[in-house]
Amino acid sequence: MAPSQPQDADKRQAAREVIDILHEIATLLVALPLPHNTQLNRQQLSYCVSLIENGVNPEALANVIKELRAQYPEPDAEEEGEEET
Amino acid sequence: MSKSTEERIDNALWQLLERTVPIYPEDDDETADQRLDDAFAFARNAIASAADTAVGPDVHHAADLIKRRLIRDNLSPEKALKFSNLYSRLLSQPVLSQKWAMLYFLHSLTDAPTAENRQSMANHRRSHSPTVGASEERKGRQYVVDSSAFNEAFSNAGLLRLPATEEPRQERPASRQRRERTRDAEPEAEPPPPSPSYPNYDALTPPEPALLRDLPFTLQGLSSTNLVFSSSKILKLPPTLPVPVIGLLHTLAEPCLLYRGLSEFVESSSGGLVGQSFRSALSIELRAYLGLVATLEGQIRRALAQLDDGPRQGIGKAGVTLKRCVVWTREATMGLRLMSLMVEQSKDKKGGQLISVIHSFALTHGDPFVVNFAERLLSHVTRPFYDMLRQWIYDGELSDPHLEFFVSEQQEKLDDTGKGGATSVWEDKYKLNAAMVPSIITDSFANKVFLIGKSLNFIRHGCNDASWVESYSKSASRELHYGDTATLETSIDEAYKTTMARLITLMENKFHLFEHLSALKKYLLLGAGDFIAVLMESLSANLDRPANTQYRHTLTAQLEHAVRNSNAQHDSPDVLRRLDSRMLELSHGEIGWDVFTLEYKISPPVDVIVTPFGSKQYLKVFNFLWRVKRVEFALGTTWRRCMTGARGVLGAVTDRVGGDWKSARCVVAEMVHFVNQLQYYILFEVIESSWGELQEAMRRPDSTLDDLIAAHAAYLTAITRKGLLGASAVDFPGQLHELLKTMLAYKDAFTRRQERSAKIENRTAAGKWGLSERDDDIPTPIAAPHGLGLASVSEDDILGGLRGRLAHLAADFKARVNVLLGDLYAQPDTDMRWLAMVMNFNDVYSPVRRKRHKPLMSNG
Repeated sequence: MAPSQPQDADKRQAAREVIDILHEIATLLVALPLPHNTQLNRQQLSYCVSLIENGVNPEALANVIKELRAQYPEPDAEEEGEEET
Repeated sequence: MSKSTEERIDNALWQLLERTVPIYPEDDDETADQRLDDAFAFARNAIASAADTAVGPDVHHAADLIKRRLIRDNLSPEKALKFSNLYSRLLSQPVLSQKWAMLYFLHSLTDAPTAENRQSMANHRRSHSPTVGASEERKGRQYVVDSSAFNEAFSNAGLLRLPATEEPRQERPASRQRRERTRDAEPEAEPPPPSPSYPNYDALTPPEPALLRDLPFTLQGLSSTNLVFSSSKILKLPPTLPVPVIGLLHTLAEPCLLYRGLSEFVESSSGGLVGQSFRSALSIELRAYLGLVATLEGQIRRALAQLDDGPRQGIGKAGVTLKRCVVWTREATMGLRLMSLMVEQSKDKKGGQLISVIHSFALTHGDPFVVNFAERLLSHVTRPFYDMLRQWIYDGELSDPHLEFFVSEQQEKLDDTGKGGATSVWEDKYKLNAAMVPSIITDSFANKVFLIGKSLNFIRHGCNDASWVESYSKSASRELHYGDTATLETSIDEAYKTTMARLITLMENKFHLFEHLSALKKYLLLGAGDFIAVLMESLSANLDRPANTQYRHTLTAQLEHAVRNSNAQHDSPDVLRRLDSRMLELSHGEIGWDVFTLEYKISPPVDVIVTPFGSKQYLKVFNFLWRVKRVEFALGTTWRRCMTGARGVLGAVTDRVGGDWKSARCVVAEMVHFVNQLQYYILFEVIESSWGELQEAMRRPDSTLDDLIAAHAAYLTAITRKGLLGASAVDFPGQLHELLKTMLAYKDAFTRRQERSAKIENRTAAGKWGLSERDDDIPTPIAAPHGLGLASVSEDDILGGLRGRLAHLAADFKARVNVLLGDLYAQPDTDMRWLAMVMNFNDVYSPVRRKRHKPLMSNG
């Protein structure tokens, strides 16, 4: 499901935990009644993690995502948040 | 590895974008793909061109930011708490390496409305970078002038990362090289925006090599082309130099100015020997400094020869710059500073004080550099001082042309109040000047030194024993050094002992000090009873006559006679030579008794101990004792006549004057008792005991001449005080004087009476003898009664008058004795109280304490 960066099973487990944590943090942060829902789903989050792990500037990445969201708003607010767990 | 990273990034980005960019159902695939591609391209560009984050990679700071936002945006702190939990769990995870980046990412993701934050952060980045060269970042940004320092100080947004590199983070290894090249290239790139705040060495006027060339000269205090000494205390720096260079030159100027001042001081010549040695020590140090300057100059010259045409003429590579010179001269500057401080402090001082000043540096300063420096100087500076000390100790001579030693010679007093003779040689010729004692010598040490020199000098001049002094100095003299305190102390002690012992032996043997003292006691203090008795007998007839009829030669003849007939003839001729009789100054109306005195001549050097003042005291005591003796003698003769007469002449007149005779006898006995007690007291209690103390003091092994003088003075003071001659609150001498006068008067009256009765009897018996005119010739001052002219008054009246007079005198005597006893009892000295007790042993008198300023009250 979630793309795993490490190679071992333990590490996979650890990675999953990390993703969980980060997801929770993201959820926490999302309480603002913003026009666009900043909720990241797990997949997006994991891709972001991998990008950042590879050295992408987090600020730039965040900007990109915000831009994209602003540019291409969701068709429906309800349709968002597809948790493909 | 970057390629695979790039691939992975692309992949991940693609994946992410697929999930992020929504698929609009109404769009067809192409549009969606297009959109996706556009998005991808945009994302890629953004990422590639993104500069480094402005904020430093601090995990905790990012967490703080998030927490703060949570607290700020939520009413309840639950979320913040939850976040804290999650954060701690995250931290414990080993997997994620860019924790900070993730947190920051999340934070910025949800941070959309704070666009001005972004803007201000960009401003921070901008304003923080100094005006170093041109950077691409500057283009395309708007300048928002913010208070950069303030923002930096309170950077809530996070500590700004120093923009050491302007390149994106991927090119980190490459950027490092580029950084260095940038820095080196800076001076070249300088001429486009020239910033005045940055040290621009190329544009120095005068250029740095010129300054370096001038530097050795300046360091020696000489003016040079660029750095001119406008006066001895001012160095002019060229005004066209930038401020940092001026700062460097200021630091370099300090040793230059110090050296100039010091060399001026060293050249000057004033102050005494110690000052001169101080100067020479300083010049040695300055020479070392000049050596340093020479080395520096060598270096500079070599460096300047290597100059090429590179930037700043490649001076950095040559190794000698102004900065480096600053570092090299640092220690020398400290030394120079210390020297000028010493010079400052020693401005008005000389001799011992100068040494004390330098010694205080060596002793109490905390910096070991200073201490060592001062020690070095001290061994040099104290050399003349030790020379003077040595000469003083071993030769007794003072060679002090500039008055630097702590012993100074005093000028002879020209008036006559000076004591003259050897005394003044001992006491006044030299004096110890405590202010000039240097701190390397303790006070007791200084005292000893003073004594030694004084004694040596005295021996040489006063005792005429120069030969011994010479031999001693030859044998014992040795070189004295600073820093050698143990040897110094031992040698001083030795010298002290030797000198003192020598002096005492001299006094004893060569000058017979003790003999003279005992002779004084014998003659002047009436110690030799037989001699005195004979003298008195032979002189008494003479001395009753008026003073102006006395002749010196008769007195001397009598003295010779007395000497020959007593034990005094066995004394050494030297002593006898000094004994002499003299007449004091006459005034009208005195009889011989009042002007006679013995005299003992004291010659130097013994008069150091028996000072002229002491001689006067001896005379005073002699006078008193002589008077007492006279009264005793007179009373004795009276008593004798009375006793013998009782059996002869007077027996015949018992009927008429028997009662009178009896009472008269009693009174005479009383007086005799008084006089005896007084004499005994003085002779034995006072004089002998004091003499014993004096002997003790003199026989002590380590007594010095000063000790002897003090002991003798104490001896005399004790005698005068206890002998009731001192000037105390109670006027003993006056009382005694009155008492003695009374007794004499009594005796006279008695004699008169006795003579009268003898005449009566004789006339009665023989009828032939008349009153001889001789009797009227005795003009006793006391018995000069007005109405007692013998020729014209009847015998009865005369007798009555005599009787009355005798009674009056007796009562007077009693009263005076009472008063005296009262005063004696009140004395703190036990001996005097003993005297009072002994006089009054049967309580016949009742002593009376005389109150001050009130009339006498006597209970008879």
